[in-house]
Amino acid sequence: MINLEVNLGPLRLKNPVLAASGTFGFGEEYASFFELEKLGAVIVKGLTLRPRQGNPPPRIAETPAGMLNAIGLQNPGLEAFLERELPRLRSINAAVIVNIAGDTEEEYLTLARELSETNGILALELNLSCPNVKEGGIFFGTSADVMTRLIRKVRRVCRLPLIVKLSPNVTDIVELAEAAESSGADILSLINTLKGMVIDVSRRRPLLGNITGGLSGPAIRPVAVRMVYEVYRSVKIPIIGMGGITNLDDALQFFLAGARAVAVGSASFINPYTIPRLISDLQLFMESEGLQSLDEIVGAAQR
Amino acid sequence: MLSKARVLKIEEIFSGCFFLQLEEQRIAGDSLPGQFLHVRVADNTVPFLRRPFSIAGASPRNGTVEIIFRVVGEGTRILSRLQKDEFLDCLGPLGTPFSPGKEFPVSILLAGGAGIAPLLFLAGTLAGKREKILVYYGTPNSGELLTPDKFLPPGVDVFLATEDGSAGFHGLVTDLFERSLKDDPGRAEIFACGPEAMLKTLAKKNRSWGFPMQLSLEERMACGIGACQGCAVQAHRENKTGYLRVCRDGPVFNSQEVVW
Ligand SMILES: Cc1cc2nc3c(=O)[nH]c(=O)nc-3n(C[C@H](O)[C@H](O)[C@H](O)COP(=O)(O)OP(=O)(O)OC[C@H]3O[C@@H](n4cnc5c(N)ncnc54)[C@H](O)[C@@H]3O)c2cc1C
Ligand SMILES: Cc1cc2nc3c(=O)[nH]c(=O)nc-3n(C[C@H](O)[C@H](O)[C@H](O)COP(=O)(O)O)c2cc1C
Ligand code: FES
Repeated sequence: MINLEVNLGPLRLKNPVLAASGTFGFGEEYASFFELEKLGAVIVKGLTLRPRQGNPPPRIAETPAGMLNAIGLQNPGLEAFLERELPRLRSINAAVIVNIAGDTEEEYLTLARELSETNGILALELNLSCPNVKEGGIFFGTSADVMTRLIRKVRRVCRLPLIVKLSPNVTDIVELAEAAESSGADILSLINTLKGMVIDVSRRRPLLGNITGGLSGPAIRPVAVRMVYEVYRSVKIPIIGMGGITNLDDALQFFLAGARAVAVGSASFINPYTIPRLISDLQLFMESEGLQSLDEIVGAAQR
Repeated sequence: MLSKARVLKIEEIFSGCFFLQLEEQRIAGDSLPGQFLHVRVADNTVPFLRRPFSIAGASPRNGTVEIIFRVVGEGTRILSRLQKDEFLDCLGPLGTPFSPGKEFPVSILLAGGAGIAPLLFLAGTLAGKREKILVYYGTPNSGELLTPDKFLPPGVDVFLATEDGSAGFHGLVTDLFERSLKDDPGRAEIFACGPEAMLKTLAKKNRSWGFPMQLSLEERMACGIGACQGCAVQAHRENKTGYLRVCRDGPVFNSQEVVW
């Protein structure tokens, strides 16, 4: 059997296929479909310091080959995560990456500090790119200066590998990727959802309670692949690629563009077995192509 | 929890409303009234999401399960073109079912439009176990009425209402039911499913009626299993008010839980 293990800088994963934040909850529901131990890692739902109610419904709108969501970071907060969700995930041997978000720098710092002191967390993913909350998230992710300041501070208190998740809702993603790298990110994760909107023609109103939402699914895949391709050329740190992955071919596009790992989001909603199937398809692919390591194809499409 | 179910029968009950009978032993055996199936209408990226439908009946003995759906958009249009012996990708049964209390000899089922679906299944499982089962069923007109006798067990009393008066009581099903309350129904509990406006009216009026009442709600869904928080409904439960998930914490809620 070919070994699917990958190193993403300081982060070692048993395979390069992850569950994307916000699409997998805290793993509880999918654990009744397959063993979460099989995944490269579970990136849990965006966590904030205090519990968050989230946005008013409707929160979901279907779009051509994708969907908009405006959940608004509904989550139980740090304390409930540490008391309930993390011990459960650890008891089933899931590799856990915690996605964190905040309204203020202070909130990010407290989260990073507390989670760094907790056992059983593999890495932190800094969500600087949620398009669905007012102050938090995306505010920190669209200006290189603001982002640099935040990452530097988080870096100082964070003892875990630090992943920075980038927003595609920017003019130049390469500039932000470079800023994240130079301010101390170990790994980049891209892309988060693209801001969009649907209007309910019969009501003559925006369909979503939050008015706008984040677009995900196959519809955004070409944008995501292009961004991974461009970012790969200008940074040295590893990339986790995501956006519309549903099967092996989709994932291969990301590896060939330069991602060392991939995350699957919305496709799990359509088929809860998408991730374990992708892992075994990847294994078969490597065997049939005679690949010893994924390194042989990462970035291979670069021209 | 994911199965390919074979189509045994698909039938247009009235214009734009279909009865679909599927064969799938596991789903048939596990389904409870109030639960739903999350179906993938095409093996394609368009339409992207699954579609939720209440289970309208299930027979563990025959290995069959049924849904009744209205064509309202692209997904249900594709579904309506299914042919006998084709397979449908179904996730489920999902969600929290109705929980009827043994202490209530009278069950009152209030249905609006396609909301009749889960109540047909419920009536089937309560039949013979309650002194009285009363079904109040309202639709806009007689053209959008499914013949309930065909889908209901014997011994159930059905009261019809149409908004245009073309069949049964002329008016809303909630008004029809309210009038019936001149006579005390006895120790009764209510189960309701239908358009939001109907459920809201019921929940409000029930503050003075005071029946134990369970409502089956709808909200737009992505995962259908509780992972994405997409199907939020504002509700109180366990001394907290916040957003609960229609797909997992519901679709059946106690009427006092829901914040309208
Ligand atoms: C728990 C539950 C049980 C249901 N049971 C039944 C049933 O027994 N019979 C029946 O006819 N209908 C039922 N519905 C509604 C049914 O899911 C929608 O009519 C259907 O999804 C519409 O799909 P479409 O592609 O034809 O419409 P479109 O409007 O094109 O769909 C676009 C998107 O909106 C969603 N959507 C549209 N209307 C609804 C709605 N009312 N509720 C939830 N999502 C919606 C779709 O799922 C899809 O994601 C139920 C809904 C829920 C949540
Ligand atoms: C319902 C939903 C909730 C999400 N929540 C988060 C979140 O909390 N934090 C985050 O960083 N990304 C969140 N995302 C973005 C995904 O992690 C991912 O970046 C994006 O959906 C693109 O991948 P996909 O096309 O495979 O879904 C969410 C996406 C969806 C669809
Ligand atoms: S649809 Fe995902 S939580 Fe209900």
